[in-house]
Amino acid sequence: MLTRRGLIRVGSAAVGSLALRPFGLLPALAQSGPDYRALVCVFLFGGNDSNNTVIPIDPANFQAYTSIRGSLALSASELTAPITSASGQPVAFHGKLPEVASLFSSKELAVVANVGPLVQPLTQSQYQNQLAGIPLNLFSHSDQQTAWQTSIAQGNSATGWAGRAADYIASQNINSSNFPPFFSVAGNVLEGTGVNTQPVALGPGQSLTLAGFSASAASQARMNALTSLLTTGSGVSLVQAADDTMANSLSDASALTAALAKGTPLKTKFPATTIGEQLQQVAEIIQVQSYLGMRRQIFFCSLGGFDTHAGELEAHNSLYPELSPALAAFYDATQELGMAQNVTTFTESDFNRTFQPTTTDGSDHAWGGHHLVLGGAVQGGQIVGAFPTFELGGPNDTDVRGRWIPTTSIDQYGATLCSWFGIPGSALATVFPNLGNFPTSNLGFLG
Amino acid sequence: MKFLLSLAIPVLLAAPASFGEDVSAREAARFLDQATWGPTPASIAEFQQMGMTAWLNAQFALNTSDIPDQPILNAAGQANNNVAPVQAAFFQNTLTGQDQLRQRVAFILSQIWVVSALNAYAYPPYWRIFRDNAFGNYRDVIKALTLSPAMGRYLNMANNNKGNPAKGTAANENYGRELMQLFTLGLTQLNPDGSPVLDANSNPVPTYNQAEVTNMAKVLTGWTYATAPGAKAQTNNPIYYFGQMHAVEAEHDETAKAVFGGVTIPAGQTAENDLESLLDALMAQPTMAPFVCQQLIEHLVTSNPSPAYLQRVSQVFENDGTGTVGNLQAVITAILTDEEARAGDGAQSAITANFGHLREPILMMANLLRGLNAITAATNNVAANASNLSENLFEASSVFSYFSPLFRTEHGLLGPEFQIYSTQTASSRADTINTLVYGTMTGVKLNLAPFVAVAGNTTNLLNYISGVFLHSSMSPALETAMTDAVNAASTPTAKAQAALYVALTSSEYQIIQ
Repeated sequence: MLTRRGLIRVGSAAVGSLALRPFGLLPALAQSGPDYRALVCVFLFGGNDSNNTVIPIDPANFQAYTSIRGSLALSASELTAPITSASGQPVAFHGKLPEVASLFSSKELAVVANVGPLVQPLTQSQYQNQLAGIPLNLFSHSDQQTAWQTSIAQGNSATGWAGRAADYIASQNINSSNFPPFFSVAGNVLEGTGVNTQPVALGPGQSLTLAGFSASAASQARMNALTSLLTTGSGVSLVQAADDTMANSLSDASALTAALAKGTPLKTKFPATTIGEQLQQVAEIIQVQSYLGMRRQIFFCSLGGFDTHAGELEAHNSLYPELSPALAAFYDATQELGMAQNVTTFTESDFNRTFQPTTTDGSDHAWGGHHLVLGGAVQGGQIVGAFPTFELGGPNDTDVRGRWIPTTSIDQYGATLCSWFGIPGSALATVFPNLGNFPTSNLGFLG
Repeated sequence: MKFLLSLAIPVLLAAPASFGEDVSAREAARFLDQATWGPTPASIAEFQQMGMTAWLNAQFALNTSDIPDQPILNAAGQANNNVAPVQAAFFQNTLTGQDQLRQRVAFILSQIWVVSALNAYAYPPYWRIFRDNAFGNYRDVIKALTLSPAMGRYLNMANNNKGNPAKGTAANENYGRELMQLFTLGLTQLNPDGSPVLDANSNPVPTYNQAEVTNMAKVLTGWTYATAPGAKAQTNNPIYYFGQMHAVEAEHDETAKAVFGGVTIPAGQTAENDLESLLDALMAQPTMAPFVCQQLIEHLVTSNPSPAYLQRVSQVFENDGTGTVGNLQAVITAILTDEEARAGDGAQSAITANFGHLREPILMMANLLRGLNAITAATNNVAANASNLSENLFEASSVFSYFSPLFRTEHGLLGPEFQIYSTQTASSRADTINTLVYGTMTGVKLNLAPFVAVAGNTTNLLNYISGVFLHSSMSPALETAMTDAVNAASTPTAKAQAALYVALTSSEYQIIQ
């Protein structure tokens, strides 16, 4: 079979030399249990209104929330029971996120508040007077998805932060095979594209193995014909690009087929939803990581439908019951696999939404939002950072509709995840080029 | 031409081209791969006979295809969300409709002006807007879509009331934003050749800012669905996907609104007058021509047009020769007849390295079915197969469509269709071709007899396949690969199947060059 993936493997170190590779750079925790770590991104496409995901419910905040959010304000009966965070902040989650709330209570899940794309720390005055670096094309879905996936808020990055992290993993030969460190169960995404890393994409219920081939001579001749064309080289750039993807597919197919054959059915039951099936697929890949030669993997899942300009309450009431039990099932599966300490799941989304509602019972595109981090290694039960001041035109607002200027950058959020994952400080600046602009590179919610 | 010499079908040996145009089978097939749902021996012969100009004029006059209206409620009396009959009708048109170019352009417009996730009966009237305006004026497209109940529902212009200070609400920004970002202007001001307009510090100039988005929302307040027959008219009518939306002046924000390009919509105008002012202002923005034309070129001809090519087309958008802005018939003509589109008609070697684009799944399915002489049943798996390849007709995952016109391949080239070409879908494309060539696709009957008929002679077989699917031009590598696969197969049917599988799974076919 073709080994297109071999072309991008950096270095030619034999497997036997892997023990000499710089694993000393990894935190000590890696030495207990299997030497495996995975980051699992759940991207909430459309821009999740996280103002209604988790709410500070001390009287002053809840009063401001109820008053300003109007038709979007959740009442106490539409929220989970209050939970006191590690720092003593009473919070409640959307009532359709009971599993998430429970994981927060049991300190397996943390909330990172008001995080978003930034080039550098940004005050309201700097933003309003355009006196400092401001992210490119704020409030645009496509651009802010890109900002989250590249962590280069000024734009124009051809690589994603997870792709650059995967480049590092490959450059150190930390994994013992050519199988790509970035695995999307939700199609092509820029997040996993590195300088040298091209993601593998395979959704639930799909296979990369080509149908219609047998051991017959005619069949083998046909397969040889197909594969011979992929390495011929073409004078047409896009033909070459398509050939590269097909060659990667065939290479990944053999590795996956062999590895998945070693798997056994998970006992954990996943919900029969899009996100449930995606996370189940991730768990099934994690189960056979050693057969794939993987010690570090990054996964990408997604759930769409969060662009709630209208009818937001109804939309959340159908989306959150998909998200919450799927996250919980996935966490349960990592426990079943003995991998709870080795897998960290986190959310991303285009942007938060306006605190002020629209006339159509929804909210418009905004900026900084609140995100969830889940796993056995997470210092759970805490609100990392601070909620914005709930005031239209207040100190955190870009204008008068409650579009919060982030107080934590994606660089800091991602670097915290990547530090735990095993990217040393010396490499973090390559993965997050803007990281040095911020006062701290580790938010302390992991490890 | 090798192709002509090996033809098994007499119609292709018809009289030479008329009207002074001497059209080769390669030229015809290449043009038809850009302008239709796929060349066939018959359409190649027709084009050769008519020549490019006459063929285009005939196509501009045709409007023969329809997608039938769907019931509002299903048999159980509930909302009808079964889009399969709409999808099947669409594909049926691609196979048998005479108005091939109109259908192609209509589909492209529907990929710019995206709606999704609606009741099935919303789609036929929505699609007819594109069909009927495919060769019309872009201003009419903007207006018809702005007042379309399908779009009104999808991006919330319907029942977008003016902000209510007592309730603390503001007008919904959804349609106002995407109208600019996705449908007309884009985020960055462009020169006619597609390069960004730069400010004094060499930074790209944005087309609008957030305050202008907020004002656009106000401009577009005060519209509701048509009143359903027998229903009582209300300020905010319930969803109804027939007819056009109409103004409700009481819910229109009449304040003055500063929008893009330094334009201010004056205070005191009606919703309808505000819309006309907005349309005039949009059509006057010079960035619209390169923004729209780039996408049309990407879909029809090449992902990476040269700046000069885009500029030539943009100039036609700005002025069709009679002073009219936005004449789509003139723009489509300019795109398809441009020297950059036609370079390579004579010989493959004239095609530049970055030319061409990946067949998107819907285009690939139509092309395969036409080339393999398919007949489809009313219920079939064609759309389901395209969906499995990440292009679910009329059900894009967001207003950003099936793929982005800005998506770049790993090598930094624009390659919009590559956004949905992953390790998974590359494999699934081959499996779709396997199903067609070796198996059975539900509701699809193919006729491979013309291929089998020439399979006794490998050269004839390869040339026939090349004539239908590869513009009569195979690379030496593909010719060798197909020959090897054919030689290992025993029967004429098996030889034809092996040759087709290798040709159609090749990137040489998947990229329209």
